Amino acid sequence: MTDTSTSSSPRIAASARTPLWRDVVILKWVAQVSLLIVVLSTMWFLANQAGDNLRARNISTGFDFLNRPPDIQLSEGIDTKPATGGRALWVGMVNTMRMAVAGIFFATILGVIVGLARLSDNWLVRRLGSIWVETLRNVPLLVQMIFYFSVLTSLPRLGLVAGPINGWLHISNKGISMPRVFISDGFYQWLIVVLIGAVAAHYIRRHRTRLHDETGAQTAPTLWALGTIALFALVGLFIHPVFSWVGGIFGAIADLLDSLPIIVPQVLLCAVALGAGTRWILRFLSAHRSVRGHLSLSDDDWFRIIFIALASLVVVFVVVRWTGLSSWILNSGRDLFGVMEAKFNVDGAARPFDAMLPDIVQKGKFPNYGKNGLTMSIGFAAVFFGVVFYTSAFIGENVRGGILAVPKGQTEAALAVGLTRGQTLRRVVLPQAFRVILPPTGNQFLNLTKNTSLAIAVGYSDMVQVGTTVFNQTGKTLPVVAIWMLFYLSCSLTLSVIVNWFNVRTQLVER
Amino acid sequence: MSELSSVTGNITIPYTPPPETPKLPPREWVKENLFSSKFNSILTVVSSILLLAIARGLLSFIFNPERQWNATATNLRLLMTQAYPESQYVRIWVCAAILLILTSVSMAIWRTARVVALPDLGRRLLSRGAILALLTLLAPFSGRATLIWLLTAAVVAGVGEGLRRFTNDDQATTTLTLLLVTLSGLVGSLWVVPYGHHSFLMDRTPRVLAEPGTVAMTTKLPWTIMLLIAVAAYFLGGFLRERLPVNATRITVLLLWLMAPPFLLYLVLRDPSFEMGHVFGTDIPIFGVYAVLGSALLLWLSRPSTGEAGRIVAALVLIVGCATFLTPMRMIVRLDMLLLAAFALAAHTFSGGPRAQKRYIFGWLGVLVVMSWMVTAINTPSTVKVPGGFFIGGLSLTLMVAIFTIVISFPLGLALALARTSTMPIFRLLSTWFIEFVRGIPLITILIFFSIMVPLFLPKGMHLSEVTAVVIGYALFSSAYLAENVRGGLQSVDRGQHEAAAAVGMTTAQKTIFIVLPQALRAAIPPLVGHCIGVFKETSLLAIIGLFDILYIARYVMPNQTEFMGSTKENVLFVSAIYWIFTYQMSKASQRLEQRTGLGER
Repeated sequence: MTDTSTSSSPRIAASARTPLWRDVVILKWVAQVSLLIVVLSTMWFLANQAGDNLRARNISTGFDFLNRPPDIQLSEGIDTKPATGGRALWVGMVNTMRMAVAGIFFATILGVIVGLARLSDNWLVRRLGSIWVETLRNVPLLVQMIFYFSVLTSLPRLGLVAGPINGWLHISNKGISMPRVFISDGFYQWLIVVLIGAVAAHYIRRHRTRLHDETGAQTAPTLWALGTIALFALVGLFIHPVFSWVGGIFGAIADLLDSLPIIVPQVLLCAVALGAGTRWILRFLSAHRSVRGHLSLSDDDWFRIIFIALASLVVVFVVVRWTGLSSWILNSGRDLFGVMEAKFNVDGAARPFDAMLPDIVQKGKFPNYGKNGLTMSIGFAAVFFGVVFYTSAFIGENVRGGILAVPKGQTEAALAVGLTRGQTLRRVVLPQAFRVILPPTGNQFLNLTKNTSLAIAVGYSDMVQVGTTVFNQTGKTLPVVAIWMLFYLSCSLTLSVIVNWFNVRTQLVER
Repeated sequence: MSELSSVTGNITIPYTPPPETPKLPPREWVKENLFSSKFNSILTVVSSILLLAIARGLLSFIFNPERQWNATATNLRLLMTQAYPESQYVRIWVCAAILLILTSVSMAIWRTARVVALPDLGRRLLSRGAILALLTLLAPFSGRATLIWLLTAAVVAGVGEGLRRFTNDDQATTTLTLLLVTLSGLVGSLWVVPYGHHSFLMDRTPRVLAEPGTVAMTTKLPWTIMLLIAVAAYFLGGFLRERLPVNATRITVLLLWLMAPPFLLYLVLRDPSFEMGHVFGTDIPIFGVYAVLGSALLLWLSRPSTGEAGRIVAALVLIVGCATFLTPMRMIVRLDMLLLAAFALAAHTFSGGPRAQKRYIFGWLGVLVVMSWMVTAINTPSTVKVPGGFFIGGLSLTLMVAIFTIVISFPLGLALALARTSTMPIFRLLSTWFIEFVRGIPLITILIFFSIMVPLFLPKGMHLSEVTAVVIGYALFSSAYLAENVRGGLQSVDRGQHEAAAAVGMTTAQKTIFIVLPQALRAAIPPLVGHCIGVFKETSLLAIIGLFDILYIARYVMPNQTEFMGSTKENVLFVSAIYWIFTYQMSKASQRLEQRTGLGER
């Protein structure tokens, strides 16, 4: 705050004090505050204008449509005839998340294959990889999706007997249907057995590693750990009903949450907000203190401190004023544990898994896929193939770049100390390459999630498609757009938190 | 090889050719690359089966008699410019000619041609011929078609073999010659092959009609002229390169490129019916006053000795500029005043000797000309009206939206990046929030929002066409990503550069403009080109919100024509080919640029 004379011209420097209009600190703050005022007043103006225009057109904003019957039919999802607008949007969200998760999973696998293919010793495989990447990366995703969609719609019409393998795999203009393995009633009890197995595996792995370190013998710790989990999973298939008492614990927690007064979560939330704020400020101050205890703070630092303090006070204010939040937390906690209790409350004969073959039923005039098989509608298939192929090209390039970024000397050194090719790849090259690959690949995951919104072009009921239908029916464009943005922002945030967590774990700790 | 050591600016970057790998004889090459181990052999067999299956599937898809390729050939005009009026079509050709001239001149000035040794070319042609023969055997052709294609393949391979045998490494040609040969072949084919001449009669049998009005007939003459113009412009460029100072020519050409989009849009496409009396009576006098008085003011302000009084004057100009909005007057006067205020405030940063002053004044005059002329042009209504609510559609709309989005989002992105890296907390906070918010939501929601909601936010009596609103939304979206790319460049600038600039007494603005930004932008070229490719690709989303871009026409308009019912697959494949050609060329060009400037190597 004191070194303001750096930019004063010689004529001014003679006078003892810098005049106000030349004081850099003041100029900077004037500029910032005036920008803030301009931004805020523009937003206020636009909001006002929108309010006037909406009133003039007799359109009301507000979220009441979430509780009204929307009168729409969705092409697919957990509920094709939703009872309320909110439910319809929820179906869209679930469809988007389904698509994103499936897409990320398969795009990663395919992308790794493509990236490795491009580095292969084999000329033909290398060529195939680069054709794949150069073709798919350079054609817009939407164009690809529409192409897949139009190819899928022109597939042969579905009959009561369908190919290519009748009774197992059906491909037709209604989509693709295949056998389905699904979790059944006994799954949660079985999961407890597997969890115990995982704990056991952890200790066994540690023991085998120590054995290896002490004796130098090949003890295969990972193999042992995996074997333990497999053993428990296998045994669990037969003994899982013994864990039906676990449901009682969840029931007790649900009862406890039901009996708590609202003040408890309020106090807890306030304490967390104030505690986190205070802790941050204290740590910040101690980080900016020199060894002798001298504290020097710039404007920017003061701004941060005030910002954090204000933010935690705002949180406290919201928590105190808005009791609905606390009661919502209590109620949904109770419901959650209630559901968990119900999951364990099953008869002893329930199996953890079940499987079914796809079927074809004819209710009206035309045959259609029944509910038994795992069915991809053509809308789903078009979006799925689109995002998976498109993203795999980008992930493939990331993988290739990451592996090329590992210096050749690392491989040579590893081979020189006597590691095998497989060990070199597993223990030396891949861990280093992973560090380079992860950040851009995380970005690709984010892009994939956002790209699923193109599903509207092929009629798959994702968040955007359902939202568009809802606001066409009700005229509530603004609230729907707000819900979209909130939804996609939280998706992006969640994904980037996960990727960052991995990222921090794998990065080298530098001095 | 000396051709390749290029001159960029004043810096000469020596080009070191990669070490030559000795060429293996075919037998050993196959052994080395395909069958080096058991695993490799299996891979080779599996992937060749896969490759053959894919090629066969694709060929039988393309050459299936059910495919309606006539749809694209006949509807080419629709795909390129939608229903642009026939009588005005010459303007499109003028546009194309301007772009071609600029491209050719730039190619000549920047020496983009690469040398190809004739034996290499021969080898390449030989392998192409072999691939063509293989594909012919895979495709579901009739006997006669197979024979013709095989003969073609044999000719190609024969030419290749001839080149390989009878030339040596000293004989070479350039990529530009090859390009010229290919293009002349394509243009020549317009005179011979009746593309898009199929007309459907009532009994639905295609019949070739040799009457004017179809694609090949109407475009063969213009395309021939275009080719000649391009060749002439290339030689002109070569002449300019020899005679004029290199840097000045390059800067002029770059400026012309920057001026091209608004020029093409307003003068040629929009056909403003200028009311000349108004132009001479009002617009030109206003421009003249600003030009003379503004230049005088700036001349005084950009003297280094002006000092404190200059700042006060500049602030006064700003206040006057803001005050003009309180009283009724012409918009052009207000905008020019604000522009003058901006130049006056920045004058101190650019102050210097007579040369710097002259440059600054010319900058002011240039911007003033563009501004006055654009305001004049905007205020005159277009005489071109096309179904779909805008005066152009198809590929032209796609290109236009892409170019304008990039041009608008560039300064915005730059400002956002600077704000995000600045030390001023409110600037940083605002820009960080904006960038992270925009990057978290999909483009389609922004486009839907802007195409539907913008009228709600406008004051009464103000209208914005849907395309304009969408371009604004798209530019905001793109600027957030662009800002992140530029920020990467800013962070790569060494700290010492900042410190050295501060040490020689530069102000923050001078440091940013003259020292940091040039280096940062240079480092950010590869991601910026990637960003431009992305923007171009994602213009396809316009189809979802119902603008008549090329994808919309291919998907919704053409399959509904009675002759071409359900031709979506063919049309979309054609559209993807067009997108692919553009993006592939852009990415190749950016790779070459990286190699030439040595950017990728650090």
